[in-house]
Amino acid sequence: MAGFITKRILFGILTIFVVSVVAFLLVRLMPGSPGAIVLGLGATDDEILAYDTSIGWHDPLAVQYLTWLGEALRGNFGVSLLDGRQVNADIAARLPVTFSLALAGTVMSAVVGVLLGVIAAVRGGVVDRIVNAFSALGAAIPGFWIGIVFVFVFSVQTGLLPATGYVPFAQDPALWLQSLILPVATLALGGAAFVARQTRASMIDALAQDHMRTLRATAMPEWRIRYVHALRYASLPIVAGVGLQFIALFGGSVIIEQIFAMPGLGQSIQGAAASNDAPLVLGIVVTTTVVVVIVNLLLELSNRFLDPKLRTS
Amino acid sequence: MTTRNDSTVAIATAPPRTVRPSRLRAIRRSLSTPGGIFGISWLLLIVVASFTAPLWSPYGPNEQTGSVALAGPSAAHWLGTDDLGRDVLTRIFTAGADAIATSALGAAVALAVAIPLALWAASRGRGTETVINRVTEIAMSIPVIIIMLTVVGIVGTNLPLIMVILGLVISTGMYRVLLGQAKSLQSQLYVDAAFVDGLTAPRVSGRHVLPGLTTTIMVQFALVFSIGLMIQTGLAFIGFGPPVPAPSWGGMIQNASTHIYDAPWLMVPTGVVLILTVFAANSIGDALSGPREKAPVRSNTRSLRARRAAASAGNTEPTGSSPVAAPSATEPALSVQGLHVGLDDGTTLVSDVSFAVSAGRVLGLVGESGCGKTLTSLSLIGLLPTSVATTAGSILWNGRDIAALSEQELFRVRGREIAFIAQEPMRALDPMFSIGSQLTGAVQRLRSVPKREAGAIATALLEQVGIVDAARVLTSYPHEISGGMAQRVAIAIALAGRPRLLIADEPTTSLDVTVQAEILSLLRQIIAEEGMTMVMVTHDLGVVADICDDVAVMYAGQIVETGAVRSVLLEPAHPYTKALLGADPHATGAGGPKRRLVSIPGQVPAPRDWPSSCRFAQRCDFATAACSGSVPLTPRPSGAGLSRCIRAEELFARPTSSLPAHAAALKEQVD
Amino acid sequence: MTLLSPQSLAADAAAQPVLEVENLVIRYGRPTRRPTGPAAVDGVSFTIRPGETLGLVGESGSGKTTIGKAILGLQAVTSGSIRFEGQQIDGLKPKARRVLATKLRAVFQDPYSSLNPRLSIGDSLAEPLLVSGVRREEALLRAEDMLEQVGLPRDAVTRLPRQFSGGQRQRIAVARALITRPSLVVCDEPVSALDLSTQAQVLNLLADLRDELGLSYLFIAHDMAVVRMLAQRVIVLYRGQVMEEGSTAAVMDDARHPFTQALLAASPVPDPIAQAERRRLRESRLVDGASASSISATGCPFAARCPMATELCRTERPALRPAAASLAACHYA
Repeated sequence: MAGFITKRILFGILTIFVVSVVAFLLVRLMPGSPGAIVLGLGATDDEILAYDTSIGWHDPLAVQYLTWLGEALRGNFGVSLLDGRQVNADIAARLPVTFSLALAGTVMSAVVGVLLGVIAAVRGGVVDRIVNAFSALGAAIPGFWIGIVFVFVFSVQTGLLPATGYVPFAQDPALWLQSLILPVATLALGGAAFVARQTRASMIDALAQDHMRTLRATAMPEWRIRYVHALRYASLPIVAGVGLQFIALFGGSVIIEQIFAMPGLGQSIQGAAASNDAPLVLGIVVTTTVVVVIVNLLLELSNRFLDPKLRTS
Repeated sequence: MTTRNDSTVAIATAPPRTVRPSRLRAIRRSLSTPGGIFGISWLLLIVVASFTAPLWSPYGPNEQTGSVALAGPSAAHWLGTDDLGRDVLTRIFTAGADAIATSALGAAVALAVAIPLALWAASRGRGTETVINRVTEIAMSIPVIIIMLTVVGIVGTNLPLIMVILGLVISTGMYRVLLGQAKSLQSQLYVDAAFVDGLTAPRVSGRHVLPGLTTTIMVQFALVFSIGLMIQTGLAFIGFGPPVPAPSWGGMIQNASTHIYDAPWLMVPTGVVLILTVFAANSIGDALSGPREKAPVRSNTRSLRARRAAASAGNTEPTGSSPVAAPSATEPALSVQGLHVGLDDGTTLVSDVSFAVSAGRVLGLVGESGCGKTLTSLSLIGLLPTSVATTAGSILWNGRDIAALSEQELFRVRGREIAFIAQEPMRALDPMFSIGSQLTGAVQRLRSVPKREAGAIATALLEQVGIVDAARVLTSYPHEISGGMAQRVAIAIALAGRPRLLIADEPTTSLDVTVQAEILSLLRQIIAEEGMTMVMVTHDLGVVADICDDVAVMYAGQIVETGAVRSVLLEPAHPYTKALLGADPHATGAGGPKRRLVSIPGQVPAPRDWPSSCRFAQRCDFATAACSGSVPLTPRPSGAGLSRCIRAEELFARPTSSLPAHAAALKEQVD
Repeated sequence: MTLLSPQSLAADAAAQPVLEVENLVIRYGRPTRRPTGPAAVDGVSFTIRPGETLGLVGESGSGKTTIGKAILGLQAVTSGSIRFEGQQIDGLKPKARRVLATKLRAVFQDPYSSLNPRLSIGDSLAEPLLVSGVRREEALLRAEDMLEQVGLPRDAVTRLPRQFSGGQRQRIAVARALITRPSLVVCDEPVSALDLSTQAQVLNLLADLRDELGLSYLFIAHDMAVVRMLAQRVIVLYRGQVMEEGSTAAVMDDARHPFTQALLAASPVPDPIAQAERRRLRESRLVDGASASSISATGCPFAARCPMATELCRTERPALRPAAASLAACHYA
């Protein structure tokens, strides 16, 4: 077990390293040099050259990467080309927003999706068809569209919830929760559709297993067969699906943050990509990768825990 | 892998009798479901309407028509106008072709990368696969949209190029999906056979693995198409779409969102078209992947009576009261009368089966796959698979009719009075729970004892089934023990409720012969100790000879011969029984081992093809014109029991001898 | 090198075995890794002469199928050698192996998985001929002839596997194996997935075609009685090692190795009187109770289940040596 964890952690570190190299090379492909961006349109070529040379832009790529890596390892992703702010400060302020969005979206997707999927598999018939229709529709509705519809219905029309904006938890927990409801619901619609579909398929498969007959033959109550044994059997693919959903929602929040004016990573990388702010893009890509690697590690561990075959080997 | 699994699926689905359906025809058939038809029509409509927009629309896509801006639907503008007074309908459809073409481009790129990679990894074995898996795992560690934003930063808003790169990024996920299936195809025996034929690895992949992936590839294409469409509209929505004023769906929704206060209608047309398009692609994918497994409607939600009524309205034969084989004079413990088992669609799978088992005796139900022996045994404990039910007849056990019991009443019988042992011991145990928890749980439920006591009983049960290290086995999981050990555990679970009747469905078929012998000895010993009655389903006449007292030979859903094992196996009174014995290489005749086996020509007919005549007549050496009528069970010419053959008397009657010659000879041989 | 007269060369050629397997060892997993656990096949040697059928019998996990796969080039060999008609064939490159494809053929266990469901019967049958350069029309014609020979209608070539039952499919598989006029056919449990009545059809067919075409079979099975129908000689395997070897009659009627005896005694016969006797005999000499006790790496692999095992058996692996009319790997044979 310890050996397995070490192996996975080492692979996670390798992943982050490889991603940082690739991302470093990619942002170099962005048009314009740092000097051109920082100094703006009015600068002469000489001024730009002088600025670029001063920050080592013309050094060999390997040297530049190692310099960046050395700083990054100390928690310094450099400064934004646009406003000169510390990249890590920006990320530190924005990560909790995106993270809470993605986490809350995942939890809600999981709760709603598993519930619907289990009910569909167990009840069958009309209920099954309704859940199927929900997951088909949920998968087809883009978040940015339904998000705006939510705003229209719950803010513009009824005024129940704030249309946009984000209130930090420390400032006012109640408002924080309120500000999260619509964006999370938006994210969770597609997520719940996906999880419901996955859960339904896994539960149907589980209920068709031969060992369910053994349980019935020994007079196990039907509810126990369904909600303890079948659900336990289906839990492996369901958990994997929920994990995937977190990663997807972490990315999906990029667009949702724009709609609800949430000050998260998505908003930031969107601006950075549009203005070729290389240090900021790099910082966010690497941070995102770290989060995903950690989530994957947790998934692997839960898999180990859930699957007796892996646990006992 | 021994596939004698005739329990549920094999019976329910008779081989299709269609003429050669080509692959294309199969795809066309799966697409002609409502979802498939809708999906294809919708996508076609968008593409055609997009290219022909200048022909049918009086407006240009970017033309500021001079009509009122932000107007709702009207005769002039069916879907209204946007903030610059442009016609929404024209703009939506003009943008359609690009959206669909570039999404398809992305999907094509993803598959063009993923297919060769998956085929290669599947054919190369572990090493290559691990390397590719690791690389894709790293690639999948960044959310797609983050990668795409970075890409947009580099290449700008060149839509086709962006979609090509998206295809590359998504190909890692496609590779994962395709690899799983390619590997399972690669492990098929026909791939081995192709290598034996002298084909090289790439040829084998191309000829034997790739065609099997067709459906998955098309399903994945539809899936990536809709992902691509979502991502490109998403990018356009946040401002990375085609430059203004060119119309794009994402850009139009973005534009509409700024007018959510003054013109909410504007959200509707583009949004609905986008949703329908994604929905169309998903529907095509769903249609291609075949009918989804329906969640079974639980049998107890429909009354048994309703089922029976429905079934007897069909073509079920009238239940004639047929003579019941009562091998001994004592009152039978279990008595089955005129049992019919059928599918919900009216197909009969077991017809008019009657037998009786006296207390303490073992009845063998023997026959080849598809003869209905497993379904008969499952009906005895009310555990028939969904969509199969007893449609007529009675199963009398302890004065009650099992076939007429409600689910609640069956609940009190199962495990406590009647227990079941399945064919595949490994699959009969729950892989997620320890053997201890499964066995103790069953003891707790069935004997109503506290947990502590149940644990002690569980250990005693394991010892009773001959497991030496019970304590260790209790803490093990099913995957940690051998097949023979698993069957012992399954028997212990069956004994947990001290049942009086044991139903065993091919309990030794998946085991090695030496283990089979041990399990048979164990079953014999337990039945003797506990004084239980048993019904044993098997295809093996040797197993019948070993453990059964009485036997019922089944063929095509009917009993063709019953009686005491000694009389049936030594003096068969039905041509089928006789032929089976002749075909069995273990049946050593008087002249030493046989050089040649008696073979039965032809095949067992499928349930739909059962004739009203003698069902064996087509394959019978002794069939005459008289065999085309329906044949009842009649007393065997010698010994007790019944035979379903009108020529039994004439063919099998012989001077009664207590022991046939060849059996005596064999007895000497063994001694 | 000694000079040989043409006569003795010819005599040698006639006597040359079709297949020689020498000290075959197969371990699973990557060859670079240190071997863990026992080998799947552990030092197995045998030869098959022209026209001879050798039976390979054992329980699951005995390595019998692995040996078959190694001969067919579907499984890498760890050490030892396999020679086919005098030519070393283990570790052969795929291109070089292609030459063998017409002479060394196979019939597999599961007729449902051994025919590609998407290819017509004709395409499946023609495949080995096309590989060896036969024209398509001729290949299909020969496929029709071959189908007739195994008792199926000629028009079966245009149909798909799913239109045939298990027994018919296995006939088709036999046709595919024999269509190239091979000298050796590896039959890996060819009838164990079939029902009794169809099993008999296929066994009779295999026997008829062998006699008609002068084939050699390596007949792999778990069932002694089935092997007895076809094989002249038989090898009994247990956990990758040869337990007993000899003529079928000698091994079956006068088994020397306790495992062979156990295997024979365990298989039930459909005669209740004889079976009762056999059972009494078997139970009188049974090691009772099931436990997961491990097999020692150095001793006899069967020691843990053997009724006659002594300390010697647990510590020293017995060599294959003559015992009565056969060879047995038992200290007490």
